[in-house]
Amino acid sequence: MSNSRAVILFWQLAILAAVLVIWQWGFDWSKALLPKAYVPKILDPYFVAKPTLIWQSFLRLGCFADAGGFTACVTGNDNNLWLATLVTLKNTWWGFLFGSASGIAAGLILGRSDFLARVFGPYIVALNSIPRIALVPLVILIFGLGDLSKIATAWLVVFFVVFFNTFEGTRAVDRDQIAAARLLGASEFTVLRTVVIPSALAWVFASLLPAVSFALIGVIVGEFIGAERGLGKLIIEAEARANASEMMVAIFVMMFVGILLAIAVRSLQSYLLRWQPQFEPSA
Amino acid sequence: MIAAPGQGLALARDEGETAAARTRIAVQGLAKRFNASGREFVAVDDVSFEVKQGEFVALLGPSGCGKSTILNMVAGLLPRSGGRILIDEDTVETGKVNPRVGYVFQRDTLFPWRTVEQNIGYGLEIAGLPRAERAGRVASAVEKAGLSGFAQSFPRMLSGGMRQRVALMRTLILEPEILLMDEPFGALDTHTKLEMHKTLLEIWERERQTVLFVTHDLGEALTLASRIILLSARPGRLKEDFDVAIPRPRDPVAVRETAEFGRLYSHIWHSLGEEFRRTRAD
Repeated sequence: MSNSRAVILFWQLAILAAVLVIWQWGFDWSKALLPKAYVPKILDPYFVAKPTLIWQSFLRLGCFADAGGFTACVTGNDNNLWLATLVTLKNTWWGFLFGSASGIAAGLILGRSDFLARVFGPYIVALNSIPRIALVPLVILIFGLGDLSKIATAWLVVFFVVFFNTFEGTRAVDRDQIAAARLLGASEFTVLRTVVIPSALAWVFASLLPAVSFALIGVIVGEFIGAERGLGKLIIEAEARANASEMMVAIFVMMFVGILLAIAVRSLQSYLLRWQPQFEPSA
Repeated sequence: MIAAPGQGLALARDEGETAAARTRIAVQGLAKRFNASGREFVAVDDVSFEVKQGEFVALLGPSGCGKSTILNMVAGLLPRSGGRILIDEDTVETGKVNPRVGYVFQRDTLFPWRTVEQNIGYGLEIAGLPRAERAGRVASAVEKAGLSGFAQSFPRMLSGGMRQRVALMRTLILEPEILLMDEPFGALDTHTKLEMHKTLLEIWERERQTVLFVTHDLGEALTLASRIILLSARPGRLKEDFDVAIPRPRDPVAVRETAEFGRLYSHIWHSLGEEFRRTRAD
């Protein structure tokens, strides 16, 4: 009984409520009750804002509380919350798409060709050893402050993750299944299409879920270092003004963006891998 | 006692059904040597035999005698180290698939991401047969395999026996004239195995494909085959070659009560026993 859905939901909501209450009033209460030295700094609204302040900032940044009306606010501000979210989401999406598409293609080609795998192997290991973040200033130098540099950064992060998984997945294809397909008349290309790709798909998807988060990280870091628009830019601007509540707004929006992207990948995964037991439609 | 190749052929041939038929598979002086950590060892040594049109030949021998190796060389899955293999008078080329030849694996090689009917229809699909035409043939194959109601299931939902039926149908739907089978029922429990024998006997007694069937199960060989080729322990050499004159249609249970079954069973038992003792003496 203790792990029924209602009980679990109850505890989840209770934790949420407790966090919000402590966040909102914890600092005031501890200031009133505790000696000054024991008041936890982490609860200081100057650093972490407060749920009500964050909500107000959200309304203001999101143009819900503007005197001039919603439309005027959105069109008047180059980096309002809506535009910033849209730009970050768009760049994340393209970076993820290009990164995973090229990662899958390269993984399949090198996974199927021993020769190419041996030629390119050391280069890939060497490139993969570079912390991707170290390349971001270079990417911005090459592609400028616009969207292209953010897409390129996300691509850099996503490519290797997806590549390595696709490569391993292609290597792990059951040799007898390939032999069976050949004996049933499959050509090299048909084997790739009907055996190697479906079989490697589980490996590919295992990397796509983290890849989505990585793409978002890549875009945000790119925006931190140099950008005109985007959620990362919003955070940097808020930091310059020491405005914790605006930073929190951007952070929460990123969280929702991340969740939405993960849900999208998961639903695609559970459809394409429905033959696997863990994705069996629940009875 | 080690029989020289071909010596066993002297045993009486008393099943007339293959007498005048043409040769489908001819294996001549076949050899296979492997290199294992610098040391060469001989897996198959100078094996010669022929399989005629419509024969059901069991390749029987102790584990590790190279019988699967022989089959894989006949299928062109494995290069040979010596000798020749002809199928319908054409030399078998390694890596080249002969559309007249079907192969059933010992291991489960179904595609787990395809449903039962998609697995069975795989060969027709990649051959480009139109969907409508395919559907009819797949449906009748699903029924023939006794899998009605499971057409939309994925392989992991099926038992081992059902999966092997799917594998059998996936090969048979392409209507191969020659069927190579590598211990296809080796992993099944006794009961399921007997049911598979029944299915295979029904199909074969109706369609009379030319079959080369690898097994180490003496009872299985006697139940199914019209001829048994007995191999020696490693290196695999031809030891005996004789017909199984049990009348058809055969029932996998009733066949065990025939006098011929009992006679051959004890004969092969002793012959195989020699091989086991020889292996242990090595």
